Formats: sequence, structure tokens, C-alpha cells
Amino acid sequence: MSSSLDKLLENPRVWRGRNSLQRKAGLSSGYAELDRHLPGGGWPQDALTEILTEQYGIGELRLLMPALARLSAEEAQPDYGEPGWIAWVAPPFQPYPPALQQCGMDLSRMLIVRPGDAGEILWSAEQALSSGTCAAVLFWPESLDDQASRRLQLAAEKGHSWAIAFRPLAARLQPSAAALRLELHTNSQGTSVHILKSRGGRPTVLNNLL
Amino acid sequence: MARAWKSPVTARGKAGTSSAAQQALPFPEPAAPTRTLSLTPTPARRLWFCIWLPGLPLEACRSTEGAMIVVEEQQGIHRVLLADAEAQAAGVMAGQSTNAALALLPTLQLEERSPVREQQALEALATWLERFSSFVCIADRDVLLLEMAGSLRLFGGLRQLRGSISAGLREHGLTASLAIAPTPLAATWLAKSGRRVCIRDAQNLHSALRDLPLACLNWPAGLCASLTSMGVTTIGDCLRLPREGFVRRFGAEPLLQLDRALGALPDPRSSWRAPQRFCADYEMTEEQSDRELLLRICEELLLSLEQFLLARQLGAQRLSFSFFYLKGPATELRLGCARADRSAARWLELLRIRFERLVLSEAVIAVRLRSGMTQALQAESAHLQLQDARHGQPRRYSITQLGERLIARIGDQSVYSMHTVAEHRPQYAWRTQNLLSDWASSTLSQAGRHARRPLWMLPEPALLPADGIYPLHQGCRLRLLEGPERLETGWWDDDGISRDYYTAVNAAGIRLWVFRSRQPSPSWYLHGYFG
Repeated sequence: MSSSLDKLLENPRVWRGRNSLQRKAGLSSGYAELDRHLPGGGWPQDALTEILTEQYGIGELRLLMPALARLSAEEAQPDYGEPGWIAWVAPPFQPYPPALQQCGMDLSRMLIVRPGDAGEILWSAEQALSSGTCAAVLFWPESLDDQASRRLQLAAEKGHSWAIAFRPLAARLQPSAAALRLELHTNSQGTSVHILKSRGGRPTVLNNLL
Repeated sequence: MARAWKSPVTARGKAGTSSAAQQALPFPEPAAPTRTLSLTPTPARRLWFCIWLPGLPLEACRSTEGAMIVVEEQQGIHRVLLADAEAQAAGVMAGQSTNAALALLPTLQLEERSPVREQQALEALATWLERFSSFVCIADRDVLLLEMAGSLRLFGGLRQLRGSISAGLREHGLTASLAIAPTPLAATWLAKSGRRVCIRDAQNLHSALRDLPLACLNWPAGLCASLTSMGVTTIGDCLRLPREGFVRRFGAEPLLQLDRALGALPDPRSSWRAPQRFCADYEMTEEQSDRELLLRICEELLLSLEQFLLARQLGAQRLSFSFFYLKGPATELRLGCARADRSAARWLELLRIRFERLVLSEAVIAVRLRSGMTQALQAESAHLQLQDARHGQPRRYSITQLGERLIARIGDQSVYSMHTVAEHRPQYAWRTQNLLSDWASSTLSQAGRHARRPLWMLPEPALLPADGIYPLHQGCRLRLLEGPERLETGWWDDDGISRDYYTAVNAAGIRLWVFRSRQPSPSWYLHGYFG
């Protein structure tokens, strides 16, 4: 019985939702409750994460800051060249350097890119992701279709980088190749995080996380 | 017989001890040899290598195969200046009229003499020769001089050096006559005489120059004619003439030249300096709009730029391409690079990014590449391949290269890094930093010196409507959580502020950074989101 099951599982066409062998350790988000619900115990590395919000400024950066601060503070390994940079492609407002410093970010590894049009946003994000020099790339695309998200996912894998796309709530109906999709909602009590899609995990709702 | 010519070699030898040498120079001179010698007590031995290019007018213009002549207008008639071997075989000779030459060989290709092209060819050759000597001099429109006493050891002796220069000249497609002598003029005259001689010792100069005909000397035709009519046909004959009489009849200049050639007088030359900026054109025979072809032309220009920079150990940080049309202004394309570079492959990669978006309004007839300021290039050692392999993920390119690629496509102002400034006014507490100018980032102020700051800043504070004294956001009253933090500063530079900052939360639960401006009139503004 078990041998026939093993034989079936060996078939490459069978995809297993929770494949512990393939799962890489995630990057701790700094929020224990969120880490518990993310496969690998944190943000998925070398992959695309999508964060959907109804408006910017509701806590999407606060959610990422602990992990980004850790990435930017990482020491360069002696034989590995320069440490990872964090690129911001087409942010909706100006990321404010004194506040970033207060969060523990190293400003000397911050790269701001302000492309002119929608195509250039995706191009810049792809360049930054696949360059292998950026530990994380945050970008605010005007539109991101299935094909573009697949390209960015591949670029993130190639450059061993963490891609974070910020999109409006309306995008939840569009298919996406992202490894993780989150939705942020605010009310007077705080900000809650809905996990819409998580590769190797389960959708959940985390109320008042922030 | 008048007093015999005082041999300059002996004059030089005795200069220190007797005054006979001074008496041998009857005419007053600006630089008497004794005085010069006393200034430089032990003159360094010099060895001059002369390259005479008799066929330069023809070779500089040659673009196609086949019989060809260069014509020059002399007294209103176009005459053959130079004819190549094929034309000469058909009987075409220098000095013939163009019509006569065409009658002899109807397929003959005519080219007007172009001094500009000759100069360009000469400069290109001088640039190439700089690899053999630090002192290259363009002495005449067809004569190049190299000082090479210092280069002999490095290049493995005279024979070797001469061999590699001859090979290079053949590669440039130039026919040349070479000669080596301790003075520049002697080397030039020997080269023009067509004798492949090499004189290393100044004592042998006199005997070597003695037999040279006056035609090698480039003296005015009238002077040569009157000398010839007197039966003076060689330099040796000139030297036998009495000096006073020679000067009286022909002026001081010919005698000065002879003295310089023999080493009795110093002959300072100025070294040719290659331009430090690169500028090259590529002209096409017809207009082209094929972009692949244009890109290949650009690549060719970049390769010659690489050679140019390599020879000078330089790198360029900015390049500019110009695409010329038959009519209308040229299209410019500028490229920038974070660190000075000379690698054609890297420039080409940047060019490709820009070129695919470049709009060319018409077909292009010529392309020009110019470099900006060049600077000495510091080479960097590459990482050992071994270490990359051990880590398992080789990096494709560095942050500098990423920055360059981004800038090449979306522009200089749109890619930047940031640093903070010790300043209380929020809008001045940070600065952008251009990636191409300076990579060293400075963080002047320490984190945590301010009260909490928002992650998102609005480019300009946005005026909030107010309900009485309370600010409104999206139609609802804001709840003030923290504050006020009073910032009242900057009176010294006309942009002073007087604000009370608060952390506020709106009805949707979003935290905002707002302030109440106290001057000129009290009103509320939104300045950032805590994100």
C-alpha cells in the first residue's frame, strides 16, 4: 500500500502542497503571529510577495520594516562582495530618510528609482531583482498582469532577491504568480492582515496585527 | 682659399678650453654654443629616429583598390602630385597635367590633395608611436621624429625597435623611409635621402652628411639653384665654403640649420601631445537607417575609443554620440558611467539600453563619438573565481553597474540614494545623492535625535480643511495622539518655519503626521504618513 503511494508521489506531475524538502527558511517578519502562519517561519525568500492595500500609508511599511532593517544591517560576507541593497522603485511618496534610520535601516544601501512610465517600473524592478545585488526590491507597479508577475518571480529567483509589489485592493481578483499575497485593512483598532495566498501555507486572517 | 670650415665636432670638443671655437662663428648668434654647453654641462645623449612619409598624400586618401593619383592645383592647372605604382606602370608621372594622366589611363581614380586627412593620418601615427617613446614630434607635414635613446633598453635594442616600427608602418599602409641620427635635422635629411643609415655617434655625423645632395635639405628652390650654379651640390660642399661669405650671401638661417644638424647648436623640439579627449567620426557613403548597422558602427567607434584610452591609461566617465543627418540638427545620445571606464563591451551594453529607445528622425549619414573629461584609470583586481564558485551564486553585476543600467534608461535624476543631514527642519533633514557623482555616503546626524518621524513624506505639505480649531481629513475630525513638537527655526535663510507637529489618527485608523503652522496664519497641514 505505502509502496504504491510512494511510487505515485515520485511522479513529477504530482505537486504536493506542503513539500518540506523544497521549503526554504523564511526571513522572520518580526511579528511572531505572522511568522507562525507563514510557511518557513517568515517572509518567503527569492520570491515575489504582493501586498494589497486600499490606500498607501496604512501600515504597509511598518509591516516590512523589521525584516528590511535586518536585511540592510546584514554584514558583507568576506568573500561575497558587497552586502545587499534595498531598492525602492516608483514609491508613491518620498521615503523619509530620518524615519528609515529610526527604524534601523542603513541608508547607505538604499536606492530610489523613479521611472517615468508603467513599462519602465517593471523593467527597473526586473533589472534590480535579477542583478543579484539587491536583497529586496520594493515596487509600486501601475499594473501587473499574470505574465509580468511570473517574470518578476523568475527574476527574484535568479537574483536571490525578495520582490515586494504594492498593489490596490482591486488586484485581488487578478491571477498572480506571487508566492505570498497579503491584504491589509485598517480600522480604528489597528491594521489586520489577510493572507490570501501562501505557497505551502494556508489563507488566514490575522486581526489587529499592527 | 678662405679659412676652412671649422668642424663643429671639434669646436664642441674644444669649447670648454679655447676661444678658437667662438672666433670660428663670426656672426652674432642668439645662442652661442659655448654658452649653451655651459648651461648643460653634460648633455644627455640623444638618438633621433626619423620617419619620412613620401607617399602620405596618396596613402591618406586611399579608400579603394585600383590605379590612383593625387592631384594638386599649381598655377591654375591640376597636376599630378603623386601616382601609385599601378599608375606609374601606365606611364603616369608626377608633374603631368591631369588630362595627360587620364589620357594614359582612363580608369585612373583622381583624388584632390587633402591636407586635413594627411594631418589626421599623421596624428594617428604619432599616437600609435607614443608606445615606443615619450617624445614624439611632428616635425613637418610628412616627417615624424622620435627621441629613442631612452627606449632602446626597454624594446630590446635598436634593431628590434626599428623592426617593430617598420612592421607597424606597413600595417598602417604607409611607405616610409627611416633613419637614425643623434640630431633631429641630420635624421630628417638622412631619411629624405633614402639611405637606411643608423648613426649612433655624433662624431660620425660629419662624414655621413657630407655626401647628401642639397635636395634633401628642404631649402628654398632659389637658394638651391644658386648654390648648384656655383657647383655646390652636396652638404660637404656647403661646409667647405667660408662661413662669413656664406652668411653674407645666403643669410644666417641655412648655416644655423647646418650647425644644428651637426650638433654644434642645440635644436630643441616640442613634443607632440596626443589630445586627452577622444573624438572620432564615422562617415558613411550613403544614408543608413538600419539600426543594427548603426549599432555596429557605434561598436566600432567604441573599440577605437578603448584603444585610445588604453594607450593613455585613461578612462572616461561620460560619452556622447551624435547622429548626423543630411538636413537638420544632429541627434545626441549621452551615456554616463558611475566609474570611469574604457571597456568597449561595457559601454556597448549601456548604449544598447538607450539605443533601442532612441528616435532617429531620418536616415543617418555620419556618427560621431566624443568622450567627456578623461581621468587616470585605477584598475581593479577581479575576485578569484574560486571564491565565487564556493559560494555557489556568482553575482551578475555590481550595484554600480545596476545603477548605470538604470540611469542609462530612465535618466540621471531618477535614480539616487539618500543621506540625512543634521537639520531640524523636516524638509532639509535629508538629501538625495546622485549615483554617478559620488558613492561615498555620509550619515551626519544620528538616528533617534528627533522625535518619531513618518516613513512616508509628502513632497509638499498639503493644506487640511479645519472645523473650527480641529483639522479634518477625508471629512472627519483627526484625533491628535502625540505632540506638539514645536519646530521654530531657520530664520537665518528666508525659509524659516514655525510649526507644531502632531501625530494624528484619522477615522480609518491611518496615522498621519500633521502640523499647525503658526505663521503667517494658523492653519493645519498634512506632512506625512507613518506608513
